Amino acid sequence: MRINNIFLILVLGVCNFVTSQNKQILYDFSEIPQSLIVNPGTETDFQWYSGVPLLSGISFQAGSSGISVNDVFANDGLDINDKFRDRVINGMNTKDDLSGNYQIELINAGYRGKNPDNFYSFGIYNEGDAIGYWFQDYALLGYEGNADKLNKRFDLGDLKTRGEILNVFHFGVSKKIDNKLTLGLRGKLYSGILDFTSTKNKGYFVTNEGQNNLLANTLNADIELKSSGFVVFDDVTRKDGSVGDLVKRGFFGGDLGVGVDFGFTYHLNEQTVVTASILDLGFIYHSTDVLNYTLKGDARVEGVEIILPDAINNGNTDFWQDLIDEVEELVPFEDNNKSYITYRPTKLYGSLRYNFGEQIGSKGSLDCNCNVSGGSSYRTKYANNVGGQLYVINRPRGPQAALSAFYLRRFGNVMAIKTAYTIDKYSLTNVGLGVSMQAGPVNLYFMADNLLAYQNIAASNYASFQLGINIISWGKN
Amino acid sequence: MFMGNSCVEEQDFGQYNELSVIPQFESSIIYIEATEEIINLATSAAFYTQDFDFNPFSENVFADRVVDGVITYELENTTSKPLQIILEFLDEADTILDTETFFIDETPSAVLKRDVAYGNTGKSLDIITNTSKIRVTANNLGDTSSISSQQEPLIVLKSSGKFSVRIK
Repeated sequence: MRINNIFLILVLGVCNFVTSQNKQILYDFSEIPQSLIVNPGTETDFQWYSGVPLLSGISFQAGSSGISVNDVFANDGLDINDKFRDRVINGMNTKDDLSGNYQIELINAGYRGKNPDNFYSFGIYNEGDAIGYWFQDYALLGYEGNADKLNKRFDLGDLKTRGEILNVFHFGVSKKIDNKLTLGLRGKLYSGILDFTSTKNKGYFVTNEGQNNLLANTLNADIELKSSGFVVFDDVTRKDGSVGDLVKRGFFGGDLGVGVDFGFTYHLNEQTVVTASILDLGFIYHSTDVLNYTLKGDARVEGVEIILPDAINNGNTDFWQDLIDEVEELVPFEDNNKSYITYRPTKLYGSLRYNFGEQIGSKGSLDCNCNVSGGSSYRTKYANNVGGQLYVINRPRGPQAALSAFYLRRFGNVMAIKTAYTIDKYSLTNVGLGVSMQAGPVNLYFMADNLLAYQNIAASNYASFQLGINIISWGKN
Repeated sequence: MFMGNSCVEEQDFGQYNELSVIPQFESSIIYIEATEEIINLATSAAFYTQDFDFNPFSENVFADRVVDGVITYELENTTSKPLQIILEFLDEADTILDTETFFIDETPSAVLKRDVAYGNTGKSLDIITNTSKIRVTANNLGDTSSISSQQEPLIVLKSSGKFSVRIK
C-alpha cells in the first residue's frame, strides 16, 4: 500500500512537471564528470571519461510551491471540500507553480587534448522541462462563478505556462589558463521534439451593471497558445503515425536551436575558490508541425435585445444565434501555423568555496606544488570544502533564486560526499546529500534533495534525484 | 537509498469522489423595449408577438449540469397605458412549458420586480432544461391615442439569470 502511494505520488509529481532544475549538489562536485554540464569551467583531472550510455546521467526534479498531495488527500478526517477551497482555491496565488524537469544522458564523454590544459567533453541528452503557474482567476471563476461578483475582473493573464521536450547535442572545452583560472565554453544544438508555450496572455472577464439590461458580461481577451510537435504526437497516439516520427524530431528532424554555456573556476588564493557559470543562453526556432491557437478581441453582452420597432421589421430574426455570431466575430477563436521562437530557461550558478584539511593528491598527475602557475599539473584537492552557492533561473514570471550552503568531504580518492542546505520558493528545509564513489575506473554517483521531506513524501513540495555511472581514466598505469 | 526509507502518511485518494464544485454564474437574458408610439400604431391589443430560438438552457453543457437557479425580471412602464407582457417557455415541439405573465399600470407606476426560482423548492428545472424557444407577447390594456407626459415613454423588460452548475 505504501509503495503504491509513493508510486502514485511520484507519477503525479512528474506528470505535473515541476521545474527548479537546481543541481546544487552536482555543481562544483569535480569528482563527477557531469559537473562539467553545470559548469564547463570546472577543474578536472581526468585523462578521459565515458559515461555508460543511458545510465551516465539521469535526473528528475519535481516541485510545487503552493500545495502538496498531503494538503488535499491526507486521511485526516477533514472534508475535502473545505481543504480544496481553503488550500487550493484560496490558499494559492499566481506566483505558485507546478514545475518539473528531467534529463537523461544518451551519450557523454570527454578527453584531454594534446595540450593537457584543454579538456573536451561532448554528448547528447534528452531533456523535458515544464512550468505552470497557478491560474488563480480561472480557478476562481470555475470554482465560484461570476455571480455576486459585480465589477470583479477575472485576469486572463493568469494563464502562464510553458514546456518542452528536446534533445541537446553539446560540445565543450575547458581550458586551464594558468594555475588560478580555468575557463569553460560549451556549444549546444537543440533539436526540439515537443513544445508548448502560453506566457503572454492579457485580458479580463468582468460582469457589470448593464446599460440597458440588468447585467453586462464583458470579455476582453488576448490569449495565445503556441505549440509544435503535438500534431505528430497526436498521430502517434492515434496510431496514424509511428514513434519513429517523434524520434526523428529529436535528431534534427524537428525544430532547431542553438545555445551556449560559459563558466569559470578562479582561485582567489590557495584555499579560496570562486566559480560561476551561465547555462543555456539560447533559443529554439519552432517551424515544424506548428499549431497555435488564439482568442483575441473584445465583446460586451447584455443578453438578447428586442427593440421595437426594429424587431417587428425583422420578424424572422434569430436573436440568439445573432448574439452568438456577433460574439464569435468580436472575439474569434482561431488557429494558425506561424513559426515562433522560444528562449531556453537560462540558468546562472555561482559559488564561493573554502578548502581546508588534509591535502589529497590528484590521480591525474604527480602531486603538484600548487604555487606553480600554469603547466599541466593538477591542483591538490583538500579533504574538506565548505562554501555557499547561488542559483538563479529565468522563468516566465521572472527570475527564481536559490541559496545553498554546502560541505564536501573527500575520503582519499575513493569516495566523496557533499551535503547542501538550500532555501528557495519550494522549501526552507531542503537538505540534500550526494555521494561519488570510485572503484577503479568505475565512477558511481547518486544524489537526492529535500531528504527531510522523506519522513512524509506526500507532504513534500520538492523532490529530486540524480544518478549515473561513468568510466574514468586518469592516464596512469 | 533514500526512497527505500521514505514514509508516506496515509492518503485517501478516494476523497476525490466527494469533491463537489458547483459555481454560480449570472448573466442577462432578454431585454425588450417598445416606444409608446409603436403601441399606439398597433391595430390590435397585442402590439407585439414573436417566437424566437433560445437554446442556451437546453445545451447539454448546461442542461446536464444545472442544479438550480433564479431568473430575475424588472418591468418599467413610462407609457400612458396599462400593459401586459407574457413570456412563454417552449420546447422544440412548441409545447408551452411555462408562462410568466406581467401586468403593469400606466405611469406613474413602480418598477415591477420578480424573482422566479427553478429547482429545489422552486419551479421544475425541466422547464429550463427543455426550453428551446421563448414566445414574447405584449398586450396593450389601454387606449391607442393617449401619450405619456414622460420624456421618451417606453415599456422596458429586463431580465437576468443566476444558475448553479455542477462542474464536479
